[in-house]
Amino acid sequence: MRGRGGTRSKWKLGILAAIALSVFVSFRYQDSLKGQPATPTPTNNVFSPAHSSLPQAISHFFGHQPEPRQPIAFVHKVHVNEVQMECVDCHFTVARGPIASIPDIRTCWSCHATTLTEHPEIRKMKDYYDKGQDIPWQRVWGWVEESHVRFNHAPHIREGIDCKNCHGDVSEMTVATRVVDHTMEFCVSCHRERNAPDDCVTCHY
Amino acid sequence: MSQGEECPGRLRDLPLLEITGVHTTSMDRRDFIKASAAAGATATLAGCGNPENQLIRLIPEEPLAPGIATLKPSICSLCAAGCGLQVRVMDGEAEVVRNGEPGILQMALAKKLEGNPKHPISQGKLCVRGQAAIQATYHPDRIRQPLRRTGARGSGPFQQISWDEALSDVVARLDGLASANNQRALGFLTRPLRGQRQVLVSLFLQRFGAPPATAFELFGEDVLREANRQSFGYAQLPTFDLARSRYVLSFGADFLGTWNSPVAHSLAYGEMRQGRPGIRAKFVQVEPRMSQTGANADEWVPVRPGTEGVLALGLAHVILKDRLRNHSAAGRAGELIDGWSTGLQGFIPAEVEKRTGIAAARIERLAHEFAEHGPAVAMIGGAPLAHTNGIFQALAVNALNALVSNVGQAGGIFFTPRPGMGATEATGARPLRDVAAEILSAASSPIQVLFLNDTNPVFGTPPAWRAEEALRKIPYIVSFGSFLDETSILADLILPDHSFLESWVDDVPEAGTQMSVASVAPPVMRPLHQTRSTPDVLIEISQRLQRPLSLQWKTYEEMLEAAFGALPEKSNPWEKIQEQGGWWSESPMHQAQTTRVSPRNSTRSIDAQFEGRPEDYPFHFLPYASQAFLDGSLAHLPWLQELPDVITTAMWSSWVEINPTTARNLGIVQGDVLEIKSSQGTLQAPALLSPGIAPDVVAMPVGQGHQTFTRYASGRGSNPVSILAGLAEPETGALAWAATRVRVAKLEKSDPPNPLILFSTVLGDEAKHR
Repeated sequence: MRGRGGTRSKWKLGILAAIALSVFVSFRYQDSLKGQPATPTPTNNVFSPAHSSLPQAISHFFGHQPEPRQPIAFVHKVHVNEVQMECVDCHFTVARGPIASIPDIRTCWSCHATTLTEHPEIRKMKDYYDKGQDIPWQRVWGWVEESHVRFNHAPHIREGIDCKNCHGDVSEMTVATRVVDHTMEFCVSCHRERNAPDDCVTCHY
Repeated sequence: MSQGEECPGRLRDLPLLEITGVHTTSMDRRDFIKASAAAGATATLAGCGNPENQLIRLIPEEPLAPGIATLKPSICSLCAAGCGLQVRVMDGEAEVVRNGEPGILQMALAKKLEGNPKHPISQGKLCVRGQAAIQATYHPDRIRQPLRRTGARGSGPFQQISWDEALSDVVARLDGLASANNQRALGFLTRPLRGQRQVLVSLFLQRFGAPPATAFELFGEDVLREANRQSFGYAQLPTFDLARSRYVLSFGADFLGTWNSPVAHSLAYGEMRQGRPGIRAKFVQVEPRMSQTGANADEWVPVRPGTEGVLALGLAHVILKDRLRNHSAAGRAGELIDGWSTGLQGFIPAEVEKRTGIAAARIERLAHEFAEHGPAVAMIGGAPLAHTNGIFQALAVNALNALVSNVGQAGGIFFTPRPGMGATEATGARPLRDVAAEILSAASSPIQVLFLNDTNPVFGTPPAWRAEEALRKIPYIVSFGSFLDETSILADLILPDHSFLESWVDDVPEAGTQMSVASVAPPVMRPLHQTRSTPDVLIEISQRLQRPLSLQWKTYEEMLEAAFGALPEKSNPWEKIQEQGGWWSESPMHQAQTTRVSPRNSTRSIDAQFEGRPEDYPFHFLPYASQAFLDGSLAHLPWLQELPDVITTAMWSSWVEINPTTARNLGIVQGDVLEIKSSQGTLQAPALLSPGIAPDVVAMPVGQGHQTFTRYASGRGSNPVSILAGLAEPETGALAWAATRVRVAKLEKSDPPNPLILFSTVLGDEAKHR
């Protein structure tokens, strides 16, 4: 029992310090993002417990995800409204598997090798292609690994859920942005509305 | 810190550090500190951003459906059992180098290995080594592109070169031999090959005019093959119908752990013990050190090393004497044994007790059990064959089997029928010991160019064979291995093979099933590095020679398709064979005997010779195949390095097993560092007190003690082969690795420290601290 009070006050101090530090650091972090070229930020695609910096570790801990900045100003609006393309034309596997898939440069190139070749954004793409590189798209959606959420697109598509429900009206966007907040409440309320399972293990496993 | 311009350097701008991947024990403390400092600097630079984000993303080379796994067949290449695999393949990101540029490539990657449920050997199961086999593909020290030696031989420095340059080098050397009309100076040293790889290599050598390939494996099975050929007319390892046996008598065969076809044995063993309601077969293990298999037995018979054959004949004597069987039942296998037809009068139980240390009454009982609880089967494997009288020991056990007429009968011994497919028994191939001796005795090496394929004789032969010295006399060595080890570091040129997951694989299992099996599978993933499949390299070399060899295939895939197209069941199209991972007969088949019969060797001694007089060297030294590393060729896989020994729970290094009573007499307690001395050398290892070992035997697992073998295996433990005597079984030339005697002394202190680590005590410590 001895030292219990001490432990508690240490905890309080520690939490206060952590909050102060995180506020300070996240401001610095936001500052540091301003006016920078569109270099990719960490996407955690490769499993690694390491973070490149303390601010990143802290923002990761609090689930803060910086707004992605894409290497090419891809225009969803034009592709959907003017070219009349369907989502699945590029996001091939959305109806087949868990991941909708971000198309690789070969998909873009199948049209743009001959279409709008002089457009400055398409030139950027050509630069990548000529160097044998893929476009380093940044992740827009997704959860931090610690939330242990698993999501599978295919059953949602089978059920006829409109892409808009979760991704907003992409046909009005240039690059995709996070316009819908994917909280647990968002998922669960929709699941309940439609009589879909709402057991914990539906998503957390 | 922000990302981008402020970063003092990018990871991709740093010189590539893994040029050689050399890891040797010569790294001393100061070097280690230097290396750590360098690593620290790298970490600081990488601290400017996640290293993976500093790498460019390369254009994927294949269409992918992310998040969707597919199952593809393959074949495990880690041991000779040839288990069929089912590989889970899914998209992933790999750090690769393409056109000299490091980058991240999204590609289909093998993620998990399991047994192929359709495959007759593995039947959906896989052993611990097979589970770890995936690490060979993603190993950080894999050789990633052709290397040419730049420093002194064996010292390490290599330079990366292009495939074109490398192949031109080899072709020029071979053309040199051909123009000097000296084609016999091409040598090929390999691990034992099977299937079409073996066919291709022998064709290549034959068409070039070189002698047949020399196969080397520390725990090779030449002795048993030769004995089975003499007794039964099959030069191959036996298959046991354990599932229908009611009595199993095993002489030293660790058949559930490391010997022959452990996965198939384990499946059948489960059937034998628990698969038949009301019937639980009895299992007796005869061996001086209790192996993992021995620990499963109902009865352990700690026989004196080298006298297993005498015990077998002792049992046969009792069976004949008590008229449980007639001597003629054994046929040819019995005729090979002196005194068989007269009832083996030299092997009365009292006499056998004197020789083997097993009580006469027990011999009588075991003999009756063996003859009366049919179907019964005896097997022999491992150490009993690794004596100078190995053939005698195997023939004795064969005769015992033949006496109870279990060959080709339910619950007995079978020989896996093998589809022909152009494979021939290698004739005229000489054992490594003779080749080395010839090189050493000649003024200039009779082998001018040596192709070295995935075998490590420098680690796996006793010092008396002087394998390293012989190899150093060869002017030009080309290695096809994927890793630098004690042998391939001597190479002048390294042409790294794909991993087995990246290449076409095929195999014709020697044992483990009564069906006829030929496994084959296409690559499950694209190659990660700039490697090439060795069969394809051989085909390419054969075409680029000044006088091209007439091999009729352009690629190895073509060769496999042709070979599998010639199989009897035409209803199996090539596509289906690839899809299921091979061809196999619908039902068990009978294997035709090989017809070669050799005259009986009447000078064969029944007594094993040992190196070292018992007065000077009081203990038998028994190296054994490690559960994790087998003969040491798997010590580079980190999962296996983490694996505690199944029986002792010892891990992370080497140890010497010694009987507790013996230890008490010598004043040795668990963990004391011992010096083990043979007439050939000395090694040090901590003592592990084990009641499962005879008082006059000390045992040690093989596998650790590598000088050079990737970051995970180098400089860890000691190699028992380094103190073995050079004795060999005379008929086959196979190393008699159990024929060395040693003495044991306790060291007061050891430098460097050499602790014994037991997983069980690690757990105990955890519990104490909790």
